[in-house]
Amino acid sequence: MDTRHRVSLFFAFVLTVMLLTGSSYAIPAFSRQYGTSCTTCHVDFPKLNDFGKAFKDAGFKFPKDDETFIKIPPVMLGAPAQKDMWPHVIFPGTIPGIPQIGLRFNQFFQYTSGNANNYNNQVPPGTSPGTPLSPNIPRTDFEPGFFSIFMAGNFGSDIAFWVDDDLSVSGENANGSLGDGYLRFVNVGRFLKLPADAFTVRVGQFELDLPFTQARSINISPYDIYTEANISVPNQTTGQQGVNNVLAMQDAGHGIEFSGGHQYGGYHYSLAIVDQNTSNSVAAAPNVPSPTGGTSGGVGFFSDSNFKDLYANFSYRFNLEKDPASRHDVQAAGATGPRDHTYLSVGSFYFYGRSAQRFAGFASDGVTSAVITSHEPFYRVGGDFSFNYRTFNLFGLYMFGHDQDLLLNSGDTGFVAGPTAKFNGGFLEADYLVLPWVMTILRYDRVQSSADFLNQTNSVNYFAPAGSTRDRFTPGVQFLIHPNIKASFEYQFRPQQVTYNSSGQASSPFRTNTATGALEFVY
Amino acid sequence: MKRTLMMVMAVVAMTSMAASAGTISGKVSGVAGESVVYVEAPAGKTFPAPTQQPVIDQKGLMFQPHITAVQAGTTVQFLNSDSVAHNVFWPSVGGNKKLTHNLGTWPKGEKRPFKFDNPGAVPLLCNVHPEMSGYVVVSPTPYFAVSDKSGEYKIENVPDGSYTVTAWHEGAKNQSKPVAVAGDSKADFTLSK
Repeated sequence: MDTRHRVSLFFAFVLTVMLLTGSSYAIPAFSRQYGTSCTTCHVDFPKLNDFGKAFKDAGFKFPKDDETFIKIPPVMLGAPAQKDMWPHVIFPGTIPGIPQIGLRFNQFFQYTSGNANNYNNQVPPGTSPGTPLSPNIPRTDFEPGFFSIFMAGNFGSDIAFWVDDDLSVSGENANGSLGDGYLRFVNVGRFLKLPADAFTVRVGQFELDLPFTQARSINISPYDIYTEANISVPNQTTGQQGVNNVLAMQDAGHGIEFSGGHQYGGYHYSLAIVDQNTSNSVAAAPNVPSPTGGTSGGVGFFSDSNFKDLYANFSYRFNLEKDPASRHDVQAAGATGPRDHTYLSVGSFYFYGRSAQRFAGFASDGVTSAVITSHEPFYRVGGDFSFNYRTFNLFGLYMFGHDQDLLLNSGDTGFVAGPTAKFNGGFLEADYLVLPWVMTILRYDRVQSSADFLNQTNSVNYFAPAGSTRDRFTPGVQFLIHPNIKASFEYQFRPQQVTYNSSGQASSPFRTNTATGALEFVY
Repeated sequence: MKRTLMMVMAVVAMTSMAASAGTISGKVSGVAGESVVYVEAPAGKTFPAPTQQPVIDQKGLMFQPHITAVQAGTTVQFLNSDSVAHNVFWPSVGGNKKLTHNLGTWPKGEKRPFKFDNPGAVPLLCNVHPEMSGYVVVSPTPYFAVSDKSGEYKIENVPDGSYTVTAWHEGAKNQSKPVAVAGDSKADFTLSK
């Protein structure tokens, strides 16, 4: 470790110690409404504890006797007697007594290995002298992160809402986007005389019901498998790019989701029907109106095909307490107070879609120009587990991706089956809450995709994985300065990469290991 | 005749007690809200434990009442009226961390008792709702009072004599002062955090 390393680490340490003083409680939207701390629902925000999961399952309210806990009463949208006029509908409902608004901001500091400039310190083959090159990658960098607004709550009648939006990303106001935005009709199954909480409907834009959330993860860096798209190697003979599926599991879905069960024990299922857009392009709507834009512009449509993708998730959680009452309650009864259950959960998920690609070709006569469309079926399938003992949580996920490649036939009138494009991988993570304000994390990510490796090689891209497997270890530690202020650190032992020399030969495998610190707060 | 004699003796005894018992009253200032004022035990003097068992409720994510004063040896019943799980623990009694205790978990509607033998302030906490806060102030004698919100207090039936009186307030430093009780006595306190 050289002097600069030591100085950087020293200042990071001093900053942490300075901030680890004082005491107060978080005041995000639900904290204000219920007059309670963030830790009522979170282990280490945004990671939920068992009570937080029950709160979410219930439609952002206390699972029982919610009204007795609310410190700021809701506003009635009609007298209770109104219900007597139409006893079979849920009109008129309520709105929260205060705007249920929370804000979140984070700031990063990154220290990157000097190897990161192995690419930038070479002149790409064929580059003319005097051509401007990319800037140097700094060894250290302060980076503004995300400034997000989120609103969530309950309108009464078991109707919950959530909207979150990144107002600013990396200091650029234009970079933000909607995260989730939905209405959730909780426990709709009561109208069908189904068991309590057996059937709930969510409509809007939402992160798929992944076994482990990416959008509300405590980690600084995302799970690699959730970011993996499947883009196949161009066909060696024709040069065609067959599979070109940009969908990643972390992408938000637009559509409708049916779900049921509980995440704090027993079964849980979800089935979502969502728009498909695997080309990352949006259809313009010059002649057709859409709710969000018409002939004069707007964002137009989201889908790039008529087909709707399907996502299903099923899991079962075995709470391992011996006492039946404790086992079935939201939290386990411990000798020193309520706590998260000791549990083992197992689950599986499946995503099916068809990646649409449109080409200029010919009709079946082989002469008339026509638009021909391939619908390449693809699926993602995987399994997951989670084991929890007190404040230790070990969990992992494995996923396999499969895309059927369709290539233009020789006459460009249709398609023939090409090789399939596959990838697999997952992650294994251990979280241990050492103290109520100290979380330690050890994580392993792995993605195996021959296409990733070959694509990079063929493109003579300077940033190239050294093999078909990308894996990394990421230890981390997080300090809750307050329940709503957090300092996070992680060190990524990055995947191996290579550069290419002027003759296109791979050389000098290396790793751009990265240390990242983050400061964030919500209120 | 025997019965009449006993009644006369009882009246004489009561009159004698009334003459030797007084009150301590005053005001606790410098802080806002309720305070507890109690008489320290004279050397070698002990008092029988009371049989009454006050109840402290956990309701709406709060300890109710927020402050409870009891005599040493009192058993307090901790009730959970919420439909969420709670517990009660305290990290110390009178600042003595060796007296930390955790009562565990119990369901809605049930009580759990604990006998407080050691004098001092007991900060009550719940390990799943860290915003919950309550206090049991254990007085070494039966002579104590919880002030009103303006700080006014009155301790009654204190036998005449010389005592040390202590004032406690949440988050403030205790203050003790000698008080000679002969009839109605005054003792004001000014506490600081």
